[in-house]
Amino acid sequence: MFSQWSWVACGFCLVLNICSPDASSGLVQSCGHIIPESPVLALGSNFTALCILNESCLDFGNIYASQIIWKIKNRLVPKEQYREINRTVSSVTFNDTSSLATPLTCNILADGQMEQNIYGITVTVGLAPEKPKNLSCIVHQVSRFTYVMNCTWDPGRHTFLDTQFKLRYSWPEEVFPDCIPKDVNNSCSIADIQFFVNTEIWVEATNALGKAESDHLVVDPIDIVKPLSPQNVSVTSGILPTVLQLTWQNWISYAVMTLKFNIRYRIVGETDWMEVPSEDTASQRTSFSVQGLRPYTKYAFSIRCMKEDGQGYWSDWSEEKIGTTIEDQPSKGPPIWRIIDTSHSPAFWTVHLIWKALKPFEANGVILQYEVTVRDKSSLSCPVKKYNVTSTNHTLQLPEGTYEVTLIARNSVGPSPASVLLIPASNSKAPVKNLRTLPKHDKLWVGWTAPNSYVLKYVIEWCLVSSSSDCIIEWQIAQGDVQGVNLKGIKPFKCYLITVYPLYADGQGSGQSVKAYLKQDRPSKGPTVQTKKVGKAEAVLTWNHLTVEEQNGFIRNYTILYKTIDGNETVVTVDPSKTEYTLSSLTSDTLYTVRMMASTDNGSSTGPDFTFTTQKFGKGEIEAIVVPVCLAFLLIVLLGVLFCFNKRDLIKKHIWPIVPDPSKSNIAQWSPQVPAKHNFNSKDQMYSEGSFTDVSVVEIEADNKKSFSEQDLKPFDLLKKEKSTSEGHSSGIGGSSCMSSPRQSVSDSDEGETTQNTSSTVQYSTVVLNGYRDQTPLQVFSRSESTQPLLDSEERSEDHSGGADSTAQRQQYFRQNGQDETSTDRPCFERTKQITHADEGDLVGFVQLQISGQSSQPLGLGMEKNTQEAALSSVLQTCTEGQTVRPGTVEENPLSVDEMPKSYLPQTVRQGGYMPQ
Amino acid sequence: MAAADSPSAALRRDLCSRGIRLAGKMRADVVDLLDAYVEQQGLDPSASVAAMDGVPLAAVERWDEQTGTQRLLENLAAYRAFRALLAQMLEEQREQLGEADAGLGRALAAVLLQVSAFAYHLEELLRLESRGIPGEEEEEEEDGPPPLPRLSLFEQKLRGLGVLRELAQWALRSVRDLRQLAKPSPAPGTAPGLADSP
Repeated sequence: MFSQWSWVACGFCLVLNICSPDASSGLVQSCGHIIPESPVLALGSNFTALCILNESCLDFGNIYASQIIWKIKNRLVPKEQYREINRTVSSVTFNDTSSLATPLTCNILADGQMEQNIYGITVTVGLAPEKPKNLSCIVHQVSRFTYVMNCTWDPGRHTFLDTQFKLRYSWPEEVFPDCIPKDVNNSCSIADIQFFVNTEIWVEATNALGKAESDHLVVDPIDIVKPLSPQNVSVTSGILPTVLQLTWQNWISYAVMTLKFNIRYRIVGETDWMEVPSEDTASQRTSFSVQGLRPYTKYAFSIRCMKEDGQGYWSDWSEEKIGTTIEDQPSKGPPIWRIIDTSHSPAFWTVHLIWKALKPFEANGVILQYEVTVRDKSSLSCPVKKYNVTSTNHTLQLPEGTYEVTLIARNSVGPSPASVLLIPASNSKAPVKNLRTLPKHDKLWVGWTAPNSYVLKYVIEWCLVSSSSDCIIEWQIAQGDVQGVNLKGIKPFKCYLITVYPLYADGQGSGQSVKAYLKQDRPSKGPTVQTKKVGKAEAVLTWNHLTVEEQNGFIRNYTILYKTIDGNETVVTVDPSKTEYTLSSLTSDTLYTVRMMASTDNGSSTGPDFTFTTQKFGKGEIEAIVVPVCLAFLLIVLLGVLFCFNKRDLIKKHIWPIVPDPSKSNIAQWSPQVPAKHNFNSKDQMYSEGSFTDVSVVEIEADNKKSFSEQDLKPFDLLKKEKSTSEGHSSGIGGSSCMSSPRQSVSDSDEGETTQNTSSTVQYSTVVLNGYRDQTPLQVFSRSESTQPLLDSEERSEDHSGGADSTAQRQQYFRQNGQDETSTDRPCFERTKQITHADEGDLVGFVQLQISGQSSQPLGLGMEKNTQEAALSSVLQTCTEGQTVRPGTVEENPLSVDEMPKSYLPQTVRQGGYMPQ
Repeated sequence: MAAADSPSAALRRDLCSRGIRLAGKMRADVVDLLDAYVEQQGLDPSASVAAMDGVPLAAVERWDEQTGTQRLLENLAAYRAFRALLAQMLEEQREQLGEADAGLGRALAAVLLQVSAFAYHLEELLRLESRGIPGEEEEEEEDGPPPLPRLSLFEQKLRGLGVLRELAQWALRSVRDLRQLAKPSPAPGTAPGLADSP
């Protein structure tokens, strides 16, 4: 029964194997395999793999070695690398394993198309370990009895493989456990190391490709010890102020090794170490006395050790321990100097003695007090004065003289040597020469040439120059054999005043001073420039010097930069000592912008802009124009006056024609109506001889009409025609009346008042009309005969209008006689119209007479009047009515009109009668 | 002097020098170990321990009459014995305390190593003297130390104390022996040389 079941099972398995060629011996059997299986290959070597097909697959699947293809990952291996060994074995060869990758697979092309994987292997490529190099070991002392040997080596190149490193060591008859590094491949530490036996030490490196071993190091571990540094170091001061004693403990027993030491020390606060000579500490010890130290100085000590024979390593330095030497008396006296204040009285000094505290290495302890002794050398009888001072200065009031000041510093151990300062009455000795400065890094070197005489010391004073505060003097003393010192604490960009005094055995030289900068910079600001005076072509600029704080260096020059708005900038360099400069050749009446730059050796700074405008005229230019013009004007005026004066008669004749006095007229003598003569007297009072210098009497012939141009007369003709239609008659007196009051008849109706005033105007002229065209005139009007009532009317008019009107009336009167007076045109013109009203035929010549004295302008005005015909008509009507009642009457003064007939009677003058001249 | 300048002479001097220092360190370590052992085992530091079987005694009569080889052979025999004794002590220590007192165990192991190293030094010196080195097995087979009797715990402690004290003595003697050997060899025939030693 069992055997039957086993046959069935075998048969089933066979079917599976046949049907599934990939099935292994278990569930799946592969149709082939690769030799070698998962190899580890050296990088760069060649490699051959074989793919072996199972015989069982050959018959079933018709697959042979010729159908095998090789692949690296998914990349086909070129067939040139294949080789068919027999029908079941194919090989592939790689000349360089660096081209290999994982997995390397053996595949088959079933039926020439279908690719099936047969087998695959993992290929590991790497390098064999290199021989470890540079093996070195050091034994670290961990504690008193514990030593750990640490060995390091160079593991060599990276192998790309898992490589084991082992540190091995052995005695000739004893092999110790290997030291396996943890996490690293280049070092390992061995505890429980034993001394005094040569130990063989080496490193083994192993990986799949091989094994390498370093050179063997044979060493007694005691020779490669790095001991622990000495412990419990202590420093104690001894009896001497220059000695400190160090004691310590060694971690390592002298049974193991003897040690030698290094001791170093430094002053606390300094960085430089000093070392005790190594030969002094080259043997085993636990204490050492360090000598040659400064008194009262704090020292830090440190110590280290190593094997006495020099094999092995120095320990680390121990931690620092501080010790202080004891005090000693000061080694030197304090440097002393003086500042003499003679401001109160030259003969009585205020002497400020100042000295410097001793440096710690000079004081050798705590200075408790200073002892100042002052001795008057000019007077031997004066007692020596002593002062005990705790500060570093002392002020004395001394009369002028020579003094010797001695200063001693004292500490708890004793006094210092004395410092002596001679204060002479005057600094009469030779000064130093060629004083100069030179910056050296952060120090300012001051050098000088020594005087010819022997100098004990030099005193170098310096102070920061400030515009706001006094110079605070600092100083230092240099020995007489030096000719230069470095000043410390000098600030950059600050101005220092440095003075050097030589001190002689018997006096003191005068001080030589120099200003210096440690470092210069450009000025912090530029000068502020402004104008002092601005002219037409020049401007005077002024500025203030920069303060010493603003300068930051020596001002080498000022630069003035000015320009117009659209012009190029002009640059002028000015000496630094100046504070004023005149810009010339400027353009007049132009806006200029000016700024100023101050320059040091290290740069420049520019001040704010300032603008100014040059003047349009230069100084005196206006005067030069105005004065000559005025003078010329005056001269012309003067000449005019002189001319007028010379021609006064002629001018007078033209301007003020002589008006005959009607009262003196001969008419009055021959006129039948003389009784009114007294009225003329009254008229004389009103118009004196002086008022009327001349009266022109114009006699115009009617024939002279032709002398006027036709054009000039046209307007009058037109007017004459129009008016003649409404005025058919004309009485002679009436016409005269209209003539005497022309405004009333001609002027505009809205000037009634003026009419009233002018109605009283008197024509002191006599008009004698010749006959028209040789016709004998019927009558001749003589106004002078009727002056009396008219004067009455004038008096009344004056009563109404006041003095001013009276003057105007007088002027009007005069103007009637002036040939060139155009302002009188209107009255004349109006009067002309009156004439036209009277009688056209008779008065044509009269009209012509009136026009002959007028300019053309009234004609234009007359044209205007023509356009106002209606108004004129009414006026003329009024005028006509006046004729009928009384000539020369005024509407507003009817009382005068009533009086008039009594005395104002027209008189007929025969032809060829008297014409007043 | 020519012999003194030869490589073998230099090697001998070096071996002696380092042997002396090793013995000195061994003594110092053993002294330290003794203090720790007494304290750890709860023993009286002033307790006297009688001579025990198997523990070689450092004391010897006519020490200064011994030859160099004789000194080396006695030292070698003693340190081989101490190596076995210390190994047993270390085993007993581990059995008693386990890892509780690793420090004492490490100190014992360190001393054991030093004893081994010193024995190696002695063998090297004997080789330089062209002397055969007695085999340990052979020695043990002929007249080697009898197997240690089974002792009580207290007796083990006391024996340990005795071993360490005697080892300290031997370390001191070894320093002196090696110094004696390190001295420049007297002219042949005038002084007892190593060749004369039995």
